[in-house]
Amino acid sequence: MPKPIRRLIGLLGLLTIVSMVTFGAMNFLGDPLFNILGPVAADVDNPESLKVIEEAKAQYHLDKSLPERWARWAWDFVRGDFGVQFSSSGQPPVSDLIKERLPRTLELMAVAQIIAVSLAIPWSVLAASRANRRTDKISTITAFAFVSIPSFAMAVILFYFFSVQWDLLPDTYTATDPFWGISHDHRLIQLILPGFTLGIGSAAAYQRLLRTDLITTLQQDFILMAKSKGVSKRRVLYSHALRPSLFSMITLLAINIGFMIGGSLVVEQFFRIPGIGSAVVEATLREDFPVVLAIVMIVSAGFMVFNYLADYLYTLIDPRVRNEDTSKPRKITSMGM
Amino acid sequence: MLHETDSANNILELSDYRVGFRTERGLAKAVDGVSLSLKRGSTLAIVGESGSGKTVLNRGIMGLLGANIIEGGSAKFQGEELVNTNRQKLWGTKMAMIFQDPMTSLNPVMKVGNQVSEPLRLHQGMSRKEARDRTVELFTLVGIPEPAKRFGEYPHQLSGGMRQRVMISIALAIEPDILIADEPTTSLDVTVQKYILDLLVDVQSKSNMSMVIITHDLGVARGRADEIMVMYGGRIMEKAPSETVFQEMKHPYTQALLSSIPRLNDPKHTRLTPIEGFPPDIVDGPQGCKFAARCKYAQDTCLTLAPEETTIDKHTYFCHFPVGTDAGSEALKSNEDKGFTAAGLRIKSKGEVV
Ligand SMILES: Nc1ncnc2c1ncn2[C@@H]1O[C@H](COP(=O)(O)OP(=O)(O)OP(=O)(O)O)[C@@H](O)[C@H]1O
Ligand code: SF4
Ligand SMILES: [Mg+2]
Repeated sequence: MPKPIRRLIGLLGLLTIVSMVTFGAMNFLGDPLFNILGPVAADVDNPESLKVIEEAKAQYHLDKSLPERWARWAWDFVRGDFGVQFSSSGQPPVSDLIKERLPRTLELMAVAQIIAVSLAIPWSVLAASRANRRTDKISTITAFAFVSIPSFAMAVILFYFFSVQWDLLPDTYTATDPFWGISHDHRLIQLILPGFTLGIGSAAAYQRLLRTDLITTLQQDFILMAKSKGVSKRRVLYSHALRPSLFSMITLLAINIGFMIGGSLVVEQFFRIPGIGSAVVEATLREDFPVVLAIVMIVSAGFMVFNYLADYLYTLIDPRVRNEDTSKPRKITSMGM
Repeated sequence: MLHETDSANNILELSDYRVGFRTERGLAKAVDGVSLSLKRGSTLAIVGESGSGKTVLNRGIMGLLGANIIEGGSAKFQGEELVNTNRQKLWGTKMAMIFQDPMTSLNPVMKVGNQVSEPLRLHQGMSRKEARDRTVELFTLVGIPEPAKRFGEYPHQLSGGMRQRVMISIALAIEPDILIADEPTTSLDVTVQKYILDLLVDVQSKSNMSMVIITHDLGVARGRADEIMVMYGGRIMEKAPSETVFQEMKHPYTQALLSSIPRLNDPKHTRLTPIEGFPPDIVDGPQGCKFAARCKYAQDTCLTLAPEETTIDKHTYFCHFPVGTDAGSEALKSNEDKGFTAAGLRIKSKGEVV
């Protein structure tokens, strides 16, 4: 069997295990019935309550064995039915909540990635073109600093200066504001500080990789050839050296999408963005089992899929492998750290 | 001394040109005092073993060696001093270079057509379309079949010979006054080598540009270059019009090179060390003649005293005991009788190295 297929099957297996563990844990550690019905769930002596309990058990299949309940859930899940939220008020479907929250997180992550890449590229080019000179050394130290600052601290610092002190950027995120636009009442602008907080560490990590790859590329013959054609220094860097140096960075970028979901948890809390990160925190506190499960599954699936794609993404930018055997993933050999 | 008219006619004039690299052991004198002049429209072949300084000499002239070098002497291009100046304005306009390995010297992720169009658009102000048309024209000229289709292909889709033709197209696009071809065929199959070399000579003679062909193969130079310069250890050993080198070579190193010519129809040759022994250390080299340790003619004088320049007509050489002279024959004979040279090299009576 070709390796990409084998890996895909492996991923599906892993996802299944994740779902089983989460499903089991939430059932053993919590009490689903209590989460659904509240105190009524314990009131088994009252016949009226008992009736409600029996109904709820039947509706949520709580009277079935755990494996059977998992199987039912899994079957619904793959068909896109995530069940209903545990709530006494009307029980809206989990998918409604996800549809509302997920796009906000994706927006935040997109802004963060764009900020990270647009910082990393000129930063790496600058460092690589002055490799091992002072600019490069300072930029290495800066990169380490950015990688090691916890995002919470970063959030506080950025928020304090750009929003509180200088009032350059909005301090609140309003989910109902339009996205496109450049005033404080547009989400694009409201997402800059959160996006920066989420993206700055990635920018530094990308810079480490891209700088190393650029330095290697700059020693190639074709760079000398480009110079001898009278291509300006700037053009040599951006049109000749950059593209063949992007492989490792793109791979890391894809892998990083998964990690960013984790990071968005903190950022969403701090900047009060009602995204999927906040949703999972709220749902966990409420012990809203179907919501937590759905989010865990979506995040894990996203994480794994991007990890999987990361190994094949480089085929997009390298014409040499486009028509060839893509079953040999190119691994990142060093982080340049 | 050169006459005024000669100077005006020379595109390149080197005088005691030197290039050194700073290394941990000291200054590596890769080019150690080279003087030559190249006439407009003529071809010079620089021949020598691996490590003799051919590449450094030419990249030095072009100013492509970066900042960590020490340059000395004089190198004038069209009358203008190059040494220790920034030569960027000459790149892509007046000077062009063809590298040895067309696989590594073409950008792997850029369409070959765009690599040829680039200098046209940057320096000749052509529009995208004009540059494209000109590129296709050049591809046709250098014998690339289906030129319009090739324009959009990447280097890895072309054979070695085709890639080198692309390189030649780039050089031609630039329409340089001087073209430096650094071992343009070493990495190619034997069958394409001759074609590429003849193509180079053909376009050179049509366009009246001057050309320097670097090779470690005297056979490549024969019939293609007006003048041949033999280099060793960063220095000129012998320099003469092409046929003179073959008919009346004076330097023992040239003789040794000649007797080890790999022919074009030999199996694919890469880098050979045709002569017993190794090139001299360029950081801490021999005091006398650089070739003494490997020379069958070497006498005591050679070990202590670097030979002076001898120039007869257009034939220049640096040797105390030149081949074919009485002094040379005597030196060789006495070494053969002893069985070893002044440098301790053991030789057989027939002159073969043991
Ligand atoms: N960057 C450098 N630093 C130090 N020494 C160098 C450097 N580049 C070249 N050299 C030395 O300069 C000498 C001449 O090298 P060069 O590449 O010019 O030889 P060449 O005649 O072109 O040989 P080849 O036939 O192998 O291409 C060699 O001894 C080499 O080791
Ligand atoms: S004879 Fe002497 S000077 Fe001439 S090449 Fe040999 S060693 Fe050098
Ligand atoms: Mg060379």
